[in-house]
Parts: sequence; structure tokens; C-alpha cells
Amino acid sequence: MPRSEALDRGMRLTALAADIRAEWQSGNRARLARVVIVLLVVFAAATFVSSIMTGAADASLSNVVRWLVGANDADQVLSVRDRIIILDIRLPRAVLGMLVGASLAVSGVVMQGLFRNPLADPGLVGVSSGASLGAVLLIVLGSAVFGPLFALFGFYALPIAAFVGGLVTTLLLYRIATRGGQTSVATLLLAGIALGALTGAFTGVLIFMADDKQLRDVTFWGLGSLAGANWTKIAAAAPIILLSLAVTPFLARGLNAITLGEAAAFHMGIPVQRMKNIAIVSVAAATGASVAVSGGIGFVGIVVPHLLRLVIGPDHRYLVPASALLGGTLLILADMIARTIASPAELPIGIVTAFIGAPFFLWILLRGRTTMGL
Amino acid sequence: MITVSNLSVRLGGRQVIHGISLEAAPGALTAIVGPNGCGKTTTLKAISGELPPESGSVSINGRNLKGLKPWELALKRGVLPQSTVISFPFTVREVVRLGLTAGATADAKANDRIAADALEAVDLGGFAGRFYQELSGGEQQRVQLARVLCQISNPVADGEPRYLLLDEPVSSLDIRHQLTIMQLARRFCEQGGGVIAVMHDLNLTAMFADRMIMMKAGMIRASGAPSDVLTDETMEAVFGCRMQVSAMPAAGVPFVLPQTATL
Repeated sequence: MPRSEALDRGMRLTALAADIRAEWQSGNRARLARVVIVLLVVFAAATFVSSIMTGAADASLSNVVRWLVGANDADQVLSVRDRIIILDIRLPRAVLGMLVGASLAVSGVVMQGLFRNPLADPGLVGVSSGASLGAVLLIVLGSAVFGPLFALFGFYALPIAAFVGGLVTTLLLYRIATRGGQTSVATLLLAGIALGALTGAFTGVLIFMADDKQLRDVTFWGLGSLAGANWTKIAAAAPIILLSLAVTPFLARGLNAITLGEAAAFHMGIPVQRMKNIAIVSVAAATGASVAVSGGIGFVGIVVPHLLRLVIGPDHRYLVPASALLGGTLLILADMIARTIASPAELPIGIVTAFIGAPFFLWILLRGRTTMGL
Repeated sequence: MITVSNLSVRLGGRQVIHGISLEAAPGALTAIVGPNGCGKTTTLKAISGELPPESGSVSINGRNLKGLKPWELALKRGVLPQSTVISFPFTVREVVRLGLTAGATADAKANDRIAADALEAVDLGGFAGRFYQELSGGEQQRVQLARVLCQISNPVADGEPRYLLLDEPVSSLDIRHQLTIMQLARRFCEQGGGVIAVMHDLNLTAMFADRMIMMKAGMIRASGAPSDVLTDETMEAVFGCRMQVSAMPAAGVPFVLPQTATL
């Protein structure tokens, strides 16, 4: 690159930074948010690629790329073993991590917007437990009771069962915690604990009834892991997750308006009831599908949106896509930690996210006690 | 014209509004006053479309609220609630621009100007970059009013008058800003719009309202020009408080009337 061109580019970047700073001081964070989203795209791509390259076995990415583009020496550069490691183990794992992370983070954003509180998270208020109950119900009572369901939905049966479980819990929660358009935070959190305990108890009964094979299935599934990622799981979860993620940008304006209260949102022209229905179904679907393929992975839905609100503000038009990107990226990173820290053994990823997320959550509580209506 | 005819509203199983009828004409500031719990806010909520009537009807510029979609209503009237708590860290500018949810133009510059003008109108010119949660109650109330002004920036649009429904717009403001906001409402009326305001301060009401509606126990007890409504008799009948209108207090006790202010 010629010297003057580099100089020119540098000056433009400086000018952009100055503009953003000036806009930030006048309360306008729109351009900052757009720049952050671009940076997050780069960060996500870099993490995605490096997660495919890292692992217990050594399989070089450049060789994979050469094999993929069909170089002349294609068959020598990549052994069959490497091909399997990259294409059937690491790639689906990274894809699933991205999908699940995005889905957990966006579910968090939508739920927090809907309940008008930064502490609402599907994992925290029992929606994930409800989804788990749905999934375990299917695994244990399986073919005996739900035979026709399997026949009808095939491998979609598990995500759909989890979705129904999540939906029922979300609706119950909304009914209990919201009166006349006002959501009580204390009721929300306490009702979440109660619903979580209740669905947990039902799940316990089912596990008690389970035979050895089912017990194995339930235990492995419930650990909260991306370890079993494969293309079949992705095929089962991806359509549901992508569909519910695709809806959320259209909720953004409504979620912004509803932060002033449901009445105010209506005054500003939002069809509140319809918007809430769509939001609840999409949260339940995204959470259900994620839980179905990866078990319980906590704290992504609360940490990611909170972190982003500190930087780009709560405008959902930017918060939703930014959360999807950062959620996916952080989950892939957590998965890299999970599978390398005790290599060649693997830690369940739920443990990693809890170790990072729980202290962060406590920090949020200490910092925001006054502003969150607690 | 906003027309309320034979409106009854039931809240939580209890009938709180008993068949009231009223009209609020464009160009006039209509004030609703009355003791706590008499149904002022409920009436305003029914007029805004937030509460469905049990019987009777509300129409705005000749169209029944029932047939209007939320976004259509949002272009005809703006609503200022009593207080608004936000649990996310929005800046003042971001809150005010939420008012553009229904009526934003494609012109970014025009939107920016509408928002800036609205903040200027409520005397919060330099506040755009501040965080809403860090403002005082009175400042938050003015930010919300700016948000409503952003939604209804022109008193008349497409040849139709538009309306501001204000629930105690000056309740937490200092005397100077009470006058600023009431003058703003007046000006909105003079430019062809209509205002319905729930008020507590009877002096300010007497000063700024064209029409006054006095409610008690879900019914209208008196309505008309402030000079007709504010009498010793209605004060006692409605507020249960024997007092004299326009009488001087005993010598030696200071009193301050907004009527004497010059801004």
C-alpha cells in the first residue's frame, strides 16, 4: 500500500473516531453500535476459524482449504482421519456453538426487553428447565407414549418437545409476573425459581422411572455440552433457531418502545399484544431448540446483552444482532476452553460458562442494585 | 374534536366511570380536575384507547377508537403518563427519539431536528447526552413530554387536528417549569391542536384552561369556563373543603400565585 494511501486511511479512521465520540456525547450511539457490529463480525469469523484449527489432534486448516478447493495434491495433503476431524467433528461443533450461543444471547435480550428487566434470562427464570422437562419427557416416555410424534417429526421431535416445554413455562411465568401491563421483578424471579423447582421435580420423577439406557441418554444430554455436535443435530436445531432469530429484528422497535411500559408502547403505536405473543413464541422456540441439542448452558443470555448495553446502549435494533454475534463467539471460545483446558479430556461447557458467568452476574447485581428496581 | 359519549369503565370488577360525556375541541385546552381517585386518570386512559369502555364510546376526529389501529392512533394523539420508570440505560436523546416510533420520516436530518426541537421546548437543550436514569423526577417528566412532542410534532397534520393527552404534566415540576410546560400546551392549542390535561393545581388550571371539567366519584359535577366552574359551591361539593374562591388570605401570611409570574 502506498504511503499516502495508508496515511489517508489513518486520517479517515481518526475522523470516524472523533465523529463517534462527538455523537456519543450528544447521546447518539447509533454509529458506534454499527462499528461495534462490524468488529463483532470480524471477531466471530476469527474465532470460528481458530476453533476449527485448535484441538487435541493436529489437522491444519490450510491443508483443509487446499483439499476443499481441489488442489492437485489434494489426496496427499489431507489424510482421511484429518478430514473426519475437521469436517465431521470440529466444523459441526463450531457451527452448533455459533447457533446455540446466538440463540441463548438473543433469547436473553428478547426476554429482558419483554419483562423490562436486565435480569430476566431463560436460564434464570425456569424457561430452560421447562424446555429440559419437555426433552426428558420425550427421551424417557419416548416411543411408548410419543411414538406418533417421532413418526411425524423424526429428529425434530426432541427440539419440538423442548420448545413446547419452554413455551408452557414462559406463558405461565408471564401470567404470574405481569398484571395490567406491569411486571413485578420480584414476582418474576421468585416465580422463576418456583417453576424451575417444579419442572426439575417432574424431571426427577422421570429420571427415577428411566431404564439404564434412557438414564445414560438423559445424563449425557443434560451435562450442557457441544461435545456431541454432528450434522444431524444441526439439521434438527438450525431451522428452528434460525427462524426464531430471523423474527427478532422485527421485534426491535416494539421492544424499544415497551421499555417505557406496555401502555406507553401502545400509545406510540405498537400492537403490544401481538408483539408479546411473537416474542414469547420466539424465545421459547430458540431456548427449546438450544436446550434440546446442547443441554443447559447458563449465563450467556444474561452476560452478553448486559456487556453490550454498557457499550452500545439498549437500542434493540443494534443490541439484537450484536448479541447474536457476541453470544455465538463467546460460546465457541468457552467451548475451546472446555476442550483444551484438561486436554485430551473435556470439561462440560456448562461448567465453563458458569465459572465465567456467575461471578459476572454477581458483579451486575452489585453495580446495578439501584437502577434495576431491586 | 375528541368526543366521549356515555362512557362507563370498569376496573378490576368495580365500575369507576359512570356514563360520562364530554367534548374536547381543537384549539382549546381542556382540564380535568377532581379529588384523588375520582376517575380522572381512568377517563384519560379510556380516551387514549388504553382501557376499553364497558359501554359508551370515544371518538377522535369523528372516528371511533375501536376501528383504529395502534399506529393510526399514534399519529392522532400523544399520551404523557404520570411517571415512567426505565430499567435500561437509555440516553435522553434515545428516549425522546422513541417518540418517532410511529411517525418517523425517512429524512434522518428532519428526525434529528424534531427531537432537538422537542428537547429545547421543554427547556432541556443540553441534556441529549445524559442518561435518563440519572435525571431528577422533574427532568424525567420533561423528557417524557419531549418524547410525546416528538410523536406529535405538528398540532395539525393532513388537515386534521392532533391531540396531547397529559396526565398531571406539571406534578413534579418547579414553578418556573410548570409555567413553561403550560405555555407550551397553550401554544399547541393556538396552533390548532387540542389538549386534554389532568390537573391538580387549580390556580394553573384557572390561568391556562379554556374549559374545565370537574369530576367526583366517576361522574362529571361541573364543566365550562374556569370562572364558571371554580365557585365556592363546587369547591365544597367536589372537594369537601369549604373555601373561598378569589379571596385574599389573612394579612401577614405570604402567598405566591403563578398568575403574577413573568417569564
